[in-house]
Amino acid sequence: MSAQPPVRVRVVRQFSASPERVFDAWLDPHWIGRWMFGPGVRDEEVLRIVNDARVGGTFSFLVRRKTQEIDHVGTYLAIDRPHHLVFTWAIEKETAELSRVTIDIVPRGTGCELTLTHEVDPKWAEYAGRTEAGWTTMLGALARAFDAPGTA
Amino acid sequence: MVEHQTARLDGIFHALSDATRREMLHTLSQHERSVGELAAPFRMSLAAASKHIKVLERAGLVRRNVQGRTHMCRLAPEPLSAVQEWLRFYERFWTDRLDALDALLQTEPPPPVRKKGSPR
Repeated sequence: MSAQPPVRVRVVRQFSASPERVFDAWLDPHWIGRWMFGPGVRDEEVLRIVNDARVGGTFSFLVRRKTQEIDHVGTYLAIDRPHHLVFTWAIEKETAELSRVTIDIVPRGTGCELTLTHEVDPKWAEYAGRTEAGWTTMLGALARAFDAPGTA
Repeated sequence: MVEHQTARLDGIFHALSDATRREMLHTLSQHERSVGELAAPFRMSLAAASKHIKVLERAGLVRRNVQGRTHMCRLAPEPLSAVQEWLRFYERFWTDRLDALDALLQTEPPPPVRKKGSPR
């Protein structure tokens, strides 16, 4: 298995709040509806936040932007309070973009540091295992080709 | 934004989702090849190879140059910038939300769960 995931976004953030409080904000529907979605972060209305916060459980975060309803759906893959959380993430009806989000939280003084890793493998389910290494190698090679100067 | 990107990304991801096409791209990342040269390692017909190359062309990852009777293909990695834009979108998506979470945590006092805390 290759060490590097295919395509990845990583964001690191310090919080003055405890690891437990930060962790719980990811799973408590009341909190999710206040920071992850809604007018606090962008011009949208929260229609429904439901989740089954256990490994194998699913979630559905439904919002409305202008006239469009967008349902963010996924499945919890790992829940280890307050340090580690993994879930799949997709916009319903845009199944081409299957992705996975990993949250790692470590204590820092009285607060904590959160590392979010969002990986996309568009054929996550279909190509897991057998061809993932090939996929990874390919994207890596293409990314290098893209980054190399004078490839236009 | 994401909506606008989706069709283009679908094409790129679809092109990359096939092992034969990935291998073809890998070959082309070294230097340009004819359709026949691309087909050779797979023991496939020129027609079958051409079908794969068409998918890659549609995704914008390969350009074909007709030189007499020979079709020369070369890698065109530029569309991968769509993948990079996708990444930037999500970087901002999460950064904005983590800002909101931090602000919310700071305005709300922690729940009174200390051992010596009085009830409510």
